[in-house]
Amino acid sequence: MGLPCGVFNSRPEEDMAILRTKTQYLLVAIGFAFFFTMALYLPLDWLAWLIMLGMYAIAVLGIHILTGLCGQFSMGHAAFMLVGAYTAATLGGNVGVSPWLTLPLAGVTAGIAGLAFGVPALRIKGFYLVMSTIAAQFVIQWVAREADWTWLPDWMKTGGVYGIDVPKLVLGGKAVGDVGFWWITMGILVVMLVVAKNIQRTATGRKFIAIRDNDLAAEVMGINLFRTKLLAFFIGCFFAGIAGWVWAHYMGHITPDQFGFDKSLIFLGMIIVGGMGSTAGAVMGTVIIRICEKLIDYISASLGSAFPDISVQIFPALSLIIFALVVMIFIMFEPRGAYHRWVRIRTYYRLHPFSY
Amino acid sequence: MGDVVLQGFFVGGLYALIALGFAMIFKASEVLNLAYGQQILILSYFLHWLLVTEGLPTWASVLIVFIFGALIGFVLERVFIRPLLGQPFLSILMMTLMLGFLFKGITVLWRGGKSYSLPFTPSGMWEIGGVQILPAAAIAFFAAIFVFVCMLFLFQYTKVGLAMRVVATDHLVSQSLGIRVKRIFSLSWVISGMFAGVCAILVGMVWMITPEMGDIALGKGLPVLLLGGMDSIPGALVGGLIIGVVESLGGYWGGEVREIVPWLVMLVILLFRPWGMFGTRRIERI
Repeated sequence: MGLPCGVFNSRPEEDMAILRTKTQYLLVAIGFAFFFTMALYLPLDWLAWLIMLGMYAIAVLGIHILTGLCGQFSMGHAAFMLVGAYTAATLGGNVGVSPWLTLPLAGVTAGIAGLAFGVPALRIKGFYLVMSTIAAQFVIQWVAREADWTWLPDWMKTGGVYGIDVPKLVLGGKAVGDVGFWWITMGILVVMLVVAKNIQRTATGRKFIAIRDNDLAAEVMGINLFRTKLLAFFIGCFFAGIAGWVWAHYMGHITPDQFGFDKSLIFLGMIIVGGMGSTAGAVMGTVIIRICEKLIDYISASLGSAFPDISVQIFPALSLIIFALVVMIFIMFEPRGAYHRWVRIRTYYRLHPFSY
Repeated sequence: MGDVVLQGFFVGGLYALIALGFAMIFKASEVLNLAYGQQILILSYFLHWLLVTEGLPTWASVLIVFIFGALIGFVLERVFIRPLLGQPFLSILMMTLMLGFLFKGITVLWRGGKSYSLPFTPSGMWEIGGVQILPAAAIAFFAAIFVFVCMLFLFQYTKVGLAMRVVATDHLVSQSLGIRVKRIFSLSWVISGMFAGVCAILVGMVWMITPEMGDIALGKGLPVLLLGGMDSIPGALVGGLIIGVVESLGGYWGGEVREIVPWLVMLVILLFRPWGMFGTRRIERI
């Protein structure tokens, strides 16, 4: 990556730093301050939008590790999110474990569910893995919908189709409001970003990339394929579980149908729009798709008043159509994603008058 | 018990038809067309619109639906899939999925998410050999057998079928033998689109026409496809019948398990025999 003129890495720490120059520090500090204070003056619906953006970004980071780095496809990511969310709900609500303890637990249970469905990944690839994760999506959703059998212990009951209530987050003796929740989401997102970034640039991430590029060669180089692929599944689904925890506590009430196949596809669409293989791309894709969804709200409101006889279906139909069109345009014209385009624009302007 | 098995067997014919549509395309071009379910959806609504709103006679609307289905298949391949040949497989897969979203969105926008039943659905039950079965399921079964025999004839006794088999074996060799591979791709999408038309009629008769129909069809077709083998035409038929029977047995014994029985079968197959019953044992794509 290009450094600004006159900046050279002369020590290992400098080479390893995520934030290298003073400008970057300044920008990140301003960004933090901006997003931190944003919650205080944003209208409520935008705040909700921002929180959803944060939790989607966490889930998409998981896909970034699983698909972008390791090349294993997951079309059941929403189901793993469901596992995390239900862990938070059953352990937090039925057993009474502190929500802060269920946060890592949600990730771990989702990760274990991911392992279970990732085991075939050693033998199968491509289409077959897609099938396996689609099966995961439907099986997990079904279990959550039906797991209200009488022989189950009370604390494991999921409430069936009607869903289950999630206890409110309590911090310092009082319930966390929307503003506080955004700060929590932002905190988790930043931590997860750093984790994802660090996974990417350490040995584990390089193993993932080796497997993505050519798993036979990777095995010859001494990478344990089975362990590494399962690790990728675990980490990817761990992120989904964390996102599920955030979702559960934000919504306050979860049902299995909130985590449908559509949502899994939206996550995949986000990573495709943003670009595979970089954390910035994952976040960028999430932001683009979320902005589109916000636009659809406005468009369908105005279209609905223009064509009152189809105003009921205009929102669900438009959200499908516009999402599909955006992803299709990216696949056809910018298959490497928005982040790649951004890097190219940035490089062009860095060298502007002298493009060579 | 007997009627449960027979019922499942007959519905399995429908599943086989759905899976055939996937298998046709996958055999020729190794593209998994996940838009197929929504193709069925849009064609069903189209058929209902022709029959009820426009009041066309049944034979004319069925014919129009076939032609329209073939046209959709052709356009999909030509406009959206062919430019992506050679791209990573996730791109093509996502493309077909997004086409599915697009179809579903258009259908919802057009018909408003209402559910219908086709006007010529036979009502009541038929009795075959002392067993009560749904007439629509029986029709679906015989239609599946008929389509399967047609496919067999096409592949075994016509020049086009021979070309398609060659293309399925090796793209490069067939190109050097003077077969136009791209035209064969196109043809396989057209045939598959016509299957979608057949499925649209039958699925609309067996279940209702609802906006979720495409997803249901996809959910039944994929396990069948995998059980039979991704690139196998007889596999689709046998797999469909097996999944149909197993599913209704699951419903008979386990009640709600019915919904996920196909997926469970699929997971087992994936673990032990990923290439399916009749598929080519070639699962590496490095």
